[in-house]
Amino acid sequence: MTDAPLTPMEADDALAAEYVLGVLDLAERAEAEARIKRDPGFAGLVAAWESRMAGLNDDFAEAPAPDLLPKIEARLFPKAAPAPTRRRFGLNLGWLAGAALAAVVVLATVATLAPPRPETLVTLATADRRLSYQVSHFGDTLQVARVAGPAAAPGQVHQLWIIAPGASPVSLGLLEDMPLVIDYPVPPAGFVFAVSVEPEGGSPTGLPTGPVILTAIVGEAT
Amino acid sequence: MDDPIASLIAQCAAADRAAFRALYRDTSAKLMGVLLRILRERSEAEDALQEVYTRVWLRAGRYDPAKGRGMTWLIAIARNLAIDRLRARPEAASDDALETVQDNAPRAETRLIAAGEARRVSDCFATLEPDRAAAVRGAYLDGLSYLDLAARHGVPLNTMRTWLRRSLLKLKECLDR
Repeated sequence: MTDAPLTPMEADDALAAEYVLGVLDLAERAEAEARIKRDPGFAGLVAAWESRMAGLNDDFAEAPAPDLLPKIEARLFPKAAPAPTRRRFGLNLGWLAGAALAAVVVLATVATLAPPRPETLVTLATADRRLSYQVSHFGDTLQVARVAGPAAAPGQVHQLWIIAPGASPVSLGLLEDMPLVIDYPVPPAGFVFAVSVEPEGGSPTGLPTGPVILTAIVGEAT
Repeated sequence: MDDPIASLIAQCAAADRAAFRALYRDTSAKLMGVLLRILRERSEAEDALQEVYTRVWLRAGRYDPAKGRGMTWLIAIARNLAIDRLRARPEAASDDALETVQDNAPRAETRLIAAGEARRVSDCFATLEPDRAAAVRGAYLDGLSYLDLAARHGVPLNTMRTWLRRSLLKLKECLDR
């Protein structure tokens, strides 16, 4: 190469451009995405490249999109809790099942009548409770905080997912030191929360790629 | 602020579901076009479209109109998701992708002359050597990776990378002028 090597500043700018252009491989993209989250200067370089290249966006021709809104809304805005009788309990649970049903009914009533007040929805914990996240809701906001155990190992991150019955997981965000606050209505019973271990910056595919370490079902004791 | 899409995104950030529907109505055809062009598969593009609008709703609060137009933000979300999915696919460079690029190149040229913003990009692309301009455009519009580009231009991957980085910095110099 006869070209002089890039200065560190030029190299950062070139990396931001490569990320926006999309030429990097999966691992490099994940690395760049992690850097966008922790390095505001680099995030600014990326935003500047997005604006610079926006002139090319005119070249994306429109294509008729089917009406996927009902599916998207079903993922984002789960309907009010279904009738508790849909839940199946073993006969051996007997009176306990009755008590649980009553509890569900009471919870549902409280949720609709009382003004928003933070309430624990589920706890995601390992069997020995050494790692534990608490999901609480406040009106249409969910808050997820680690109440026991360490964050993910360096270079990794815990990612929170919600899974509607029969649907694919939807990412709710990355669980880091600060509690995660998300605009999301209270999910009805039967929805599953899960935590997976992902590379820094979160799953590159939009679906869990690492081991799922914690799960909890809304409406079931944990 | 004359950016109705930016206003709709701001309303989404305030949990306005009617605004979310309007946003889908007004922008889904464009985003579908982006996803279809990069992913080249209808069913996967439709699946990705659902994910894109899920992300738009959940991230609307992070959109900052001072940093760019609403449509630019939406397209960045769609392109990033499509490229992540493309890179996660097991197979490497496909010949189909290269055909598509060749076919689209002249049309790209004429369509670009339209808007002022686009005009400027097109002027600056003209300052690059034609094959390097084609590489930048192919990456942005068709999601070609360094691997695809190196195969297409018959050069080693590292050479491609040096070329492209130089071209991008040159492009920046022109666009920021």
